[in-house]
Amino acid sequence: MINLYQFIPEIFILSLILITLCFGLFNKDRAISLNTLGFFLLSILLLNFGKDFYSSTKLSFNTINLFVLSKIILSIGSIVFILLLKRPLKNENLYRYEYVLFILFAILGSFVLISSNNFLTAFIGLELQSLSLYLMAAFNTKNLSSNEAGIKYFSLGALSSGFLLFGISMIYYDTGSFNIQNLNNFTAISEIGLSLVLISLFFKVSAAPFHIWTPDVYEGSPTISTLFFATLPKFASLIFLFRVYQELNISDIKSLNYIFQMVCAISLLVGVYGAITQKVIKRLLAFSSINHIGFMLLGIMSYQFMSEGTLFFYLIIYMITTFGIFAVLLNLRNVDGEFTKISQLNGLRYTSNSKSITLLVFFFSLAGIPPFAGFFAKFFILSASINDGFIFLSIIAVLSSVIAAFYYLTIIKNMFFNKSEIELLDDNNKISKVIFIASGLIITLFFIYPDPLINLVDNLFK
Amino acid sequence: MSFPILSMLILTPIIGALTLSLSSSAQLKNKTIFLSGLWITIGEFLLSLLLPIFYDKSKNGYQFTEFHTWFDKFDINYYVGVDGVSIPLILLTTFLIPICLLCSINSIQNRAKEFVIYFLLLESFIIGVFVSIDLVIFYVFFEAVLIPMFLIIGIWGGENRLYATFKFFLYTLAGSVLMLLAIIYIISNVKSGNIELISDFTFDQQIELILFLCFFASFAVKVPMFPFHTWLPDAHVQAPTSGSVILAGVLLKLGAYGFIRLSLPFFEYASIYFQPMIFALSCVAIVYTSIVALRQLDMKKMIAYSSVAHMGFVTIGIFTLTQDGINGAYFQMISHGIVSAALFLIVGVVYERHHTRMISDYSGVTNVMPKYSFFFMIFMLSSVGLPGTSGFVGEFLVIMSTISVSVYLTFFTAIGVILGASYMLLLYKNINFGDLKSDIKQLTDLTKIEIFYFSCLAFLTMLLGIYPKLLFEMINKSISLSII
Repeated sequence: MINLYQFIPEIFILSLILITLCFGLFNKDRAISLNTLGFFLLSILLLNFGKDFYSSTKLSFNTINLFVLSKIILSIGSIVFILLLKRPLKNENLYRYEYVLFILFAILGSFVLISSNNFLTAFIGLELQSLSLYLMAAFNTKNLSSNEAGIKYFSLGALSSGFLLFGISMIYYDTGSFNIQNLNNFTAISEIGLSLVLISLFFKVSAAPFHIWTPDVYEGSPTISTLFFATLPKFASLIFLFRVYQELNISDIKSLNYIFQMVCAISLLVGVYGAITQKVIKRLLAFSSINHIGFMLLGIMSYQFMSEGTLFFYLIIYMITTFGIFAVLLNLRNVDGEFTKISQLNGLRYTSNSKSITLLVFFFSLAGIPPFAGFFAKFFILSASINDGFIFLSIIAVLSSVIAAFYYLTIIKNMFFNKSEIELLDDNNKISKVIFIASGLIITLFFIYPDPLINLVDNLFK
Repeated sequence: MSFPILSMLILTPIIGALTLSLSSSAQLKNKTIFLSGLWITIGEFLLSLLLPIFYDKSKNGYQFTEFHTWFDKFDINYYVGVDGVSIPLILLTTFLIPICLLCSINSIQNRAKEFVIYFLLLESFIIGVFVSIDLVIFYVFFEAVLIPMFLIIGIWGGENRLYATFKFFLYTLAGSVLMLLAIIYIISNVKSGNIELISDFTFDQQIELILFLCFFASFAVKVPMFPFHTWLPDAHVQAPTSGSVILAGVLLKLGAYGFIRLSLPFFEYASIYFQPMIFALSCVAIVYTSIVALRQLDMKKMIAYSSVAHMGFVTIGIFTLTQDGINGAYFQMISHGIVSAALFLIVGVVYERHHTRMISDYSGVTNVMPKYSFFFMIFMLSSVGLPGTSGFVGEFLVIMSTISVSVYLTFFTAIGVILGASYMLLLYKNINFGDLKSDIKQLTDLTKIEIFYFSCLAFLTMLLGIYPKLLFEMINKSISLSII
């Protein structure tokens, strides 16, 4: 008899999907705001009873905490995202309730992915997530580049799914099991299979050299979808990657460990070198995210020292920053549509105080300059990796962040030092203003009062 | 619990900056903004005067300490305190910042509010560096200083400011990240970020050498030492006068302070091991940059190169690892902080009136600006190291201490003194004497504000030159503890 108790979060989202589907036909505004409430309830539910859901399973305490915390983060992220999406979609004439359904399906897929103990379930979760993402990329059907982004994302994503399935079947052929946890005495065939699985996951989190889709998809998709790609699904895939790394003890398998380290180093370097010459802000953010994925992979590899805390902390700070940056960008518009080029940010300092200063905070934070939270995120990752002996990778990481500082400074230069040529229109979106100011405050004040965030991450893993 | 004076020192400018930033800028005049900033910084200066008054010179170790847990899990704490080495530098900072604001009241017209805010933030970050006795907050403040400085040079700088400010930021950052790795390694080994505990810890010798080099990378860029100095002339030339003042006056001292506070007590073996390298680099710095300074056409660039040469004395003095040497180096730091700041102000005065920094555009200034020439002479002579001015004591002690190490070293440092005299005198001669150029005639002499801050600086130079014991009393004990 399957214990349905542990599926409550997934069932909750599924019912939310059904309600939205029915309700959306009559009143799309209500249907969308209903989801905010739904996710709010879900996060409270998880916060209070999260651990009880999984008490009947044989999972270890840490794994349960991992599930609960990441699901809470995903729900909170979805609340923020759903609050944010209304205005940008209206601006593009895309305001339809189906968009929220895609988000819900993607989040459902992420939930399944995170808590799957079985490669096949993971595949289902990943597909559910990805298919919604392809649709979100191509959501602006009248825009050619959005279509292009969707098709690119879909064809490459399908390829990577093929890799995943092939890898899983090789593992099954070798060990006769789909289980992630009890996978042992495997041979070289399984190792090849696992490497294919890893490649597919690297593709999903856009780690280099499997990153080629990222800049194009980021650029072509509607900005609000780009924000989604950059945060929540990526978070879920990283958590799953982390679980695979941990459950299978990849640190003990030489060949796979080698792949992992190579991908980490390449991501760190490709991210920064790709970003230097970019003129379009979304492409720059795409490459910068690749660099940050490198840091996160470093965090995954060095989990032994600080357990999951460092990785989680980095992810949380990175997501807050990304939400903040996109909230600002979504608030700015060109006369003829969304603004794209970095040079269009020229002289933002003169037109908007709050936006330019929060962007300054975010970019310095991404560059890892103290006293902003991004510095501490990098600091913890580096402490963990040095403690675990990844000295060479740490040196690459810090040097890459020096190069990264260059292009973040270029954006700040445009905003603060240059005179504006074309004035950007202010969207006056109250919600996004609240969001970017709040995330700016979190990033800045973390330095003075780090306890809440640190405790949140820490307590859940003790 | 005693009065948290150090936290007050760090927080006062930040609070001031916050209040300023929340006030609506449309209603405030530039002058009001500058005056409010001035009052905050003068209050800060008075507050910092409490430190030498209540500091107990007979005791070892840090005083006015405050301890709060910060990141429990990593043993990283907010732990601040001061000893004899940090107090004079804190005073120097709080003394120079009001002068920076004073000298920019007329020259900074656009975005005055931001300017004052950045200076206030800069002040609190710099003080943070000097008071922290935990490695992580030391690093946090050490890096945070870059942000306001980057903006100050970038917004109010000269025509080539972007290049200069990027070079400044990236050079310093590249040096610092290596120090960050070293700090992480140290903390993971010692299990604490406390400077006192780390000083007692002995590292494996090979590792110690690497760690030393990592710290060296950061401090050598900041000082700056010879091959890493190229950012300095650019930054100085492009920075506004006040930016140059604070850059030469205090920021360069952060590197030397790091050597005294961290490198020497942490890495005793490595300090001796790398002694020859540092001497060689410093000698090159002294002789080479002096010669370079001799050929400069731009006043600011000349003084910038002279800064590199003077800081060469500091690094030599520190790494003689003798009481006299470090005392001399420290004295040179403070003296250079006052004198080079004053010299940049001197350049700023004529630049503001004549809008050029080329030496060849000036001649016979003394005819129209006699008071200006008078102050210029005091600071020029102090920079040269005339007995009776503060420049003399430091150079003398450093040269004296080098004799015990190597006579060749003494030879090169002494050459540096001669070259220093030649380029400073040349600069003074070209600007102040000679025929009065026609376009110089309309220059007006110093205003009352300028006379006020120049006399403060001149008084301090003379005071330290005539009565150096004032400073030595403060630092002797603390420095004797950091020697191996």
